[in-house]
Amino acid sequence: MNALLTGAALFLLINLVAGLVRVLKGPTRADRMLAALLFGSTTVAVLLILAELQGMAALRDVALLFVLLAAILGVAFVGLPEAHPEDPE
Amino acid sequence: MSMSEAAAAMLLLLGCLFYLAGTVGLLRFPDVHARLHALTKADNVGLMLVCAALALLSGSLRVAALLGLIWLLGLLAATVSAHLIARHARRHPEAHR
Amino acid sequence: MSLALDVLLALALVVLAILTVAGPGLFRAIVMFIVFGLMMALAWARLGAPDLALAEAAIGAGITGALLLGAFRALVRADPAKRRAAFRRPSRLALPVAVLATVLVAVLALALAELTPGPGTAGALARAALKDVELGNAVTGVLLLFRGYDTLLEIVVLLAAWLGAFALRGDEPPAPRTESAATVPLLDALLAAVVPLAVLVAVYLLRAGGHAAGGAFQAGAVLAAALVLLVLSGRLRPTPAPDLPQRVLLVLGVVVFGLLGLAMLIVAGQMLAMPGLWAVYLVEVAMMVSIATTLALLFAGAGGLRRAP
Repeated sequence: MNALLTGAALFLLINLVAGLVRVLKGPTRADRMLAALLFGSTTVAVLLILAELQGMAALRDVALLFVLLAAILGVAFVGLPEAHPEDPE
Repeated sequence: MSMSEAAAAMLLLLGCLFYLAGTVGLLRFPDVHARLHALTKADNVGLMLVCAALALLSGSLRVAALLGLIWLLGLLAATVSAHLIARHARRHPEAHR
Repeated sequence: MSLALDVLLALALVVLAILTVAGPGLFRAIVMFIVFGLMMALAWARLGAPDLALAEAAIGAGITGALLLGAFRALVRADPAKRRAAFRRPSRLALPVAVLATVLVAVLALALAELTPGPGTAGALARAALKDVELGNAVTGVLLLFRGYDTLLEIVVLLAAWLGAFALRGDEPPAPRTESAATVPLLDALLAAVVPLAVLVAVYLLRAGGHAAGGAFQAGAVLAAALVLLVLSGRLRPTPAPDLPQRVLLVLGVVVFGLLGLAMLIVAGQMLAMPGLWAVYLVEVAMMVSIATTLALLFAGAGGLRRAP
């Protein structure tokens, strides 16, 4: 079972790293932001798996903090100014 | 491997599959609004399946309740963020960089 | 397979760090930094340091991300050309400095690998002494019982940071919000769920700090994150200066910790000694309140806060 849990954590981490391409490419700010929020959900899953794997219950509290505070980034993001006409792309 | 462990393994693998679907969607979908589906649909089902698998494995009611709370909060955060991002993308379609 | 996990995590951290400081585009760098925070929490988890992972989660997800996004907004509003400012070519010194730092870290790591800890290290002594007190969490124990001066001064530093920011802020009223998030109906549901839960989680973390991962700093950061959310959603508005209750909350940690420390100097003849578990929790509660207030006021522009009309 432990091998399966480690494998799942590794697999989710690979997913996250692959998703970084979307942050690099964009093209809009909304794309980069939603990728970061998606990574938040992946990180929570990895933390929960590590909590079980390492027998460290406190990691579930870390995951709880991440999901509790995840929406703050979304709310902070919408306050961004409008794009300027002379913007490239 | 006991019955509940086998079920947990199945749920875990299925959850990973949904996360993979989310990543593929994030990379391959054509625009922001389509990609939001990856954030709100695939990943939340993935998180639910992973939480269910870990709740089965832990065998403790307290841990299962905490995992349920984490999943519900994840749903709420993804819903609100997706809504805000979609709104922002619609109002400022050209907000680059 | 767990080795592969650790190697991937370490590589991802290095790549994210490079992309944060060297990539083009200010906004992209901010997102990279946010993802770096997520990876850092995973790294702390792998290293078996849940206290640090908790702090990283509370500060990274709750405060710094929102702070950077707010700074980006202010920067672009002040000078739209700034958006492309991050295209600057890196300094010529960057490569030599990076190589030097790598060599330094490698040398230190080699030295550490050869080191065998003796029997009487500070960590072992602290661990042995902690058994006498009813504190299960070694981090909280060391912070309050063995390095009380440091912990007290850390709270003073936080207060000094706020005072500095308060002194530097101009007299101009807080800038108007460009696009109000307050009109989003979903936001009420979010606030109704997140704010009470954040208070509950903060108290839980403070209580847990006695025997497991947690403590005043993590709890204060979670409370501050809830206040940040209220500021972002327009429920709390910045004011030019904090009112009297807010000033009391700002200094509460320093005052309670300092007075208790002085009282112990008179009673027990030792400054900052902890007379018991109740004193530890008293100091922790006061510190949590002050940390939350300071962080939230710093986020809101170092003035005060008031309820939106």
